[in-house]
Amino acid sequence: MKVRWQHLALSFSLLSGHLFAQEVSMSSSASQEQLDFFEKKIRPALVKHCYKCHAEEGDKIKGGLLLDTREATRVGGDSGKAIVPHDLDESLLYVAITYEDSSLEMPPKYKLDDDVIADFKTWIEMGAPDPRERRLEPGTPTEYTNTIDIEAGREHWAYQQAMKPNLPEVADEKWNKNPIDRFVSAKRNDEGLSANGEADPRTLIRRLSFDLTGLPPSSSDVEQFVADFDENPDTAISEATSRMLESEQYGERWGRHWLDVARYGESSGKEINAAFPHAWRYRDYVIDSFNQDKPFDQFITEQIAGDLLDAENDQKRTEQLVATGFLAIGTKGLNEQNARQYRFDLVDEQIDTTTQALLGTTVSCARCHDHKFDPVPMADYYAMAGIFLSSETLYGTTEALQNRRTTELISLPDSAPVAAEGKSLADMIDLEMQRDILQERLDDLLDESREARRSGDGDEATRIRQQTLGVRNRLGQAEGTLKAFLDDGTPIALAMGVRDKEDPFDSQILIRGEEDNPTDERVPRGFIQVIKTNDEEPIEADQSGRLQLAHWITSPENPLTARVFVNRVWSKLFGEGLVSTPDNFGTTGELPSHPDLLDYLAIRFVELDWSVKDLIEEIVTSQTYRMSSDFNPEYFEMDPENRYLWRFPKRRLDAESIRDATLAVSGQLDASRPKGSVIGQIGDGYFGRTITDAQIEVPSNHRSVYLPIVRGLVPESLAVFDFADPSLISGKREITTVPSQALYMMNSEFVIESADAMARHLTEDRGLRGPELAKEAFYLCYSRPPTSEEGQRTKEYIERFLATADESGLSQDEARLLALTTFCQSLISSAEFRYLN
Amino acid sequence: MSPYSPFTLNRRQVLKTTSSGFGFLAFSALSSLAAQKSQNPLAPKQPHFPARAKRVIFLAMQGAPSHVDTFDYKPDLSRDSGKATKGFAKLLGSPFEFKQHGESGLYISELFPHLAAQADDLCLVNSMHTDVPNHPQATTQMNTGNFQFVRPSMGAWTLYGLGTENDSLPGYITLSPPNGAQNYGSAFLPAIYQGTPIGKQARNRFIAEEDQGAVSNIANPRLNSDLQRVQLDYIKSLNAEKLKRDQYHPDVEGIIESYELAFRMQDELPDVLDISSEPESIRKLYGIDDRTTGAFAKQCLSARRLAEAGVRFIQLNHGNWDHHRNLKDGLTNNCAEIDKPIAALLQDLKQRDMLKDTLVIWSGEFGRTPHGQNNNGRDHNNRGYSLWMAGGGVKGGLRYGATDEYGYQAVEDKVHIHDWHATVLHLLGLNHTDLTYRYAGRDFRLTDVHGHVVDGILS
Repeated sequence: MKVRWQHLALSFSLLSGHLFAQEVSMSSSASQEQLDFFEKKIRPALVKHCYKCHAEEGDKIKGGLLLDTREATRVGGDSGKAIVPHDLDESLLYVAITYEDSSLEMPPKYKLDDDVIADFKTWIEMGAPDPRERRLEPGTPTEYTNTIDIEAGREHWAYQQAMKPNLPEVADEKWNKNPIDRFVSAKRNDEGLSANGEADPRTLIRRLSFDLTGLPPSSSDVEQFVADFDENPDTAISEATSRMLESEQYGERWGRHWLDVARYGESSGKEINAAFPHAWRYRDYVIDSFNQDKPFDQFITEQIAGDLLDAENDQKRTEQLVATGFLAIGTKGLNEQNARQYRFDLVDEQIDTTTQALLGTTVSCARCHDHKFDPVPMADYYAMAGIFLSSETLYGTTEALQNRRTTELISLPDSAPVAAEGKSLADMIDLEMQRDILQERLDDLLDESREARRSGDGDEATRIRQQTLGVRNRLGQAEGTLKAFLDDGTPIALAMGVRDKEDPFDSQILIRGEEDNPTDERVPRGFIQVIKTNDEEPIEADQSGRLQLAHWITSPENPLTARVFVNRVWSKLFGEGLVSTPDNFGTTGELPSHPDLLDYLAIRFVELDWSVKDLIEEIVTSQTYRMSSDFNPEYFEMDPENRYLWRFPKRRLDAESIRDATLAVSGQLDASRPKGSVIGQIGDGYFGRTITDAQIEVPSNHRSVYLPIVRGLVPESLAVFDFADPSLISGKREITTVPSQALYMMNSEFVIESADAMARHLTEDRGLRGPELAKEAFYLCYSRPPTSEEGQRTKEYIERFLATADESGLSQDEARLLALTTFCQSLISSAEFRYLN
Repeated sequence: MSPYSPFTLNRRQVLKTTSSGFGFLAFSALSSLAAQKSQNPLAPKQPHFPARAKRVIFLAMQGAPSHVDTFDYKPDLSRDSGKATKGFAKLLGSPFEFKQHGESGLYISELFPHLAAQADDLCLVNSMHTDVPNHPQATTQMNTGNFQFVRPSMGAWTLYGLGTENDSLPGYITLSPPNGAQNYGSAFLPAIYQGTPIGKQARNRFIAEEDQGAVSNIANPRLNSDLQRVQLDYIKSLNAEKLKRDQYHPDVEGIIESYELAFRMQDELPDVLDISSEPESIRKLYGIDDRTTGAFAKQCLSARRLAEAGVRFIQLNHGNWDHHRNLKDGLTNNCAEIDKPIAALLQDLKQRDMLKDTLVIWSGEFGRTPHGQNNNGRDHNNRGYSLWMAGGGVKGGLRYGATDEYGYQAVEDKVHIHDWHATVLHLLGLNHTDLTYRYAGRDFRLTDVHGHVVDGILS
């Protein structure tokens, strides 16, 4: 408990240090003599001639310039810095007092005496020693860069190399075997807490099954596990773990976790929400990568620079190209009129995603000003911007009046699979004719429109404009479709992704992030200075630098990458990360609850050659993962959020698991992977305009990961249980309990139909009746038989339901069927169905 | 859709004919429902002292509207427009004209012609300030008081403090909220106090308007109310069993309560949200049938109907105020969408004698810089901005506090988010230092350890 409060206090003080101006101790290297010079010559002159208009305490702050602190004088305005030590030409204050530049003469009403000007000259040339060291309040509109002390910033825990911590010795033999347990146990002991005992095998297999595959165990799985566990718990767990990690369902489960972080969506979102009919390839790539247990460093490299890697064959080449979809699937304001603005927005989205997803750092905060909390100056942002500006982002979409920003797509090698059905020759001819007709119609309309304008017929012009809009959209769509097929109707395999531009270049710094307000300064392409690795590779003039960026991110010396990812894995298994802000490891993020464990896991992960499966296995075979979730009032009082893991947390299933489990228990789940995606089959278009909601609401019994994820139109079955917003990087889902969920369970078509199917499955397929049926239903839904109390309640329920149905005038057959299906629905709707112990 | 022949009984008829009748009542006496009723966490509670406002309608503007173009009149900014200021960025005078309105002579920008006619009801607070100039954090601070940790929202605290007057509706409703459930969450307060979102995100203008306010799954296609009650009693018994086993599990308690509330909502909510019964004059007043005002007008009219039905805290959401560029057109369009509906809401509440005990609040998460950005835009500014309140216990026609001559920062009678929260609770009859919840061994408050009631605005 004590440590907890220290954490709080520390994070508060860190924060206030940034939020409020504060005097800091002087660390100047200036000699006493130099400081005396300042006190005798410079300070009085500043006070006398400048402070009236350029001090916080002055009458008025003019020209936005403050000269009453060292930092303020050195902070640049938009066009330069007031004082640059040793450099008279760059020191605007000196330029101003010498009256060299008629547009900048200070003080405005009189020129300073020559000897005072000479004092300033001497002072600047000696390095402008200045004892008025005071940290400037960020948020002051004066600053835009270079207010950050990167060296000091490196002190933050997350920017320091992980060091292999010593393994604590734990007296309890059971907790002294697995290093994870030793760290957890030691910390818990420090806090004066003890661990819960082991969970029972039924709870464990259910926990393991949902965690590793996102699906409930079958009743035979449960029985088998219980028997194995009786014999040897360790073997039982490790065998079940291996089996699940080898299943296809594992990749679907853990791939989906990554898709949250990669803000996967099949449309552009924002204002005009254009379809991304090829985004699904990235989704499948992610799932396959997890199933292949692709080393995570390679997985990262492919996503950032797959197009720049060598490939031994077409299949590998396809995979690597599709991987770069990571950078292309983000939200886009396709109706942006200003091309330059659009490009910078697009790059910003890429920087934001890359740095938050992989480094837990919000670099894009430094687009308009130095980062307010973390040691990321604007210059670092624009160093990264240069890398992405030197790359071309290809995402397709079709011409339409409001879409000014279409691009090509990547053509994949011929062997790549396609989602769309092939078209017949006749269809293709049809399409071409359609396109020609629309083109003619458009030309006519444009003529008519000119005519109407000439004749001044406003109503007519409006009518024509509206028609033009429709025709243009349809033409765009026809052209888009034609582009996706060869002349003979064979679909072309296309993908979203990136490639290098021919002439890479460095980005200018944009003042306040304004595209039309660049400085003269260009920042060489590069990374975040606060993280230096010794194996950093130079970016050659003809390279964008994406490959070097990927290598810098995946360098074992990068203190963030492994930590951020192992924390993500931990958070999916324990409901909360060791760092509870998984996308923010900066100073406004939370401190780790178990710093040593986090470092251990990060180093271990790299030792395991970045194998995600091995990492997961090591965690789930720990004693920590095996604890029961039983309540303990005493420990709850001490640690209500269970930060120190005195028990296993009780967790709600995520939206996908709730839906998938509903399909599974009703015997409806189609475990196969669908071909492409509903959006892939629909093709190009605009949601709400050329594509209707009904078109995407296609009933499906496939796993939730394969449902169409259109931004702003997430399927209700997922949205109602807090699915991740596909427009945002989401390391952590919210958990809400609201009546709309109750209404969904009570009344939605999906749940009612699933309950019907479950009832049919139990009666028709399994031939079950009465208590046997009830028992199996409980097994399916809860992985355990009903308690006697529950059995009794169920019996009473059926009786009461039938009696009430009779009063309501239902026929007996109808009533029986409804009693059965509502019984199934009740189990699906109950809390235990969607909570793991 | 179902293989069974659905039978339908009008839910209302069912209730009328059976509520005094056989099965249901007999059972409910036996079931734990009766016990549950008496300790309904939503039951109305006495405030700490007589309340000036019984309910809140909070008009939340996402993206931070510019204060110097709306409610903070800055003649010096117009005079010095184009001059370089801090950091050599140029001041940008408001492209909009301000005029005095009403007997009070409040300065309001030409962007709000309808609202300006109600100037004498508005209490402008020109000296707001908040801690962080980033949207997500500032929005969270506006709603919960804290931008760093997960804390209960203002609406959740209100409901916890006062309960609600209609237990067939959620006591805290947020209409078409943007992302971020934390902003209407209950954190460690019981789940029943969290805001219930209704309607899809208004931000997506391609969602048909009629769907934006729709509530899904509000009726069962084949069970009448009696049968569904029997089913829900069974679900409840299963959940109660789980709760007993788990000993302490607030989420399960929340689920139990949410089923009960959902069951009652089925009868009440469709009627409350059905604005078709409103007379033409009201539709006109709000601008329901106008393309520009329609969407927000429906939110405003729904808010009035929810308020009438006894909902304690109603939040409305309007987005796209982040005018880094395109300030002139962007503000013009946004204000055109909300001006008439909001003015109508005030007028309508007044004519129903409800404004006196309804606190209406309009605010963004922060304000914008007096200097320009991208020629025709403004950057974030957390150090000074404006909000206004009307009705329930605030002085109308008042301009409270001030920013400096350009509007950079609050300088006179500064009001921090915590102070504002303290004031809102005060108006609701709650002492912000006494409204506490013990969690993790500590008593938590909406205002943490801060906050002063702004006496100067109380009527």
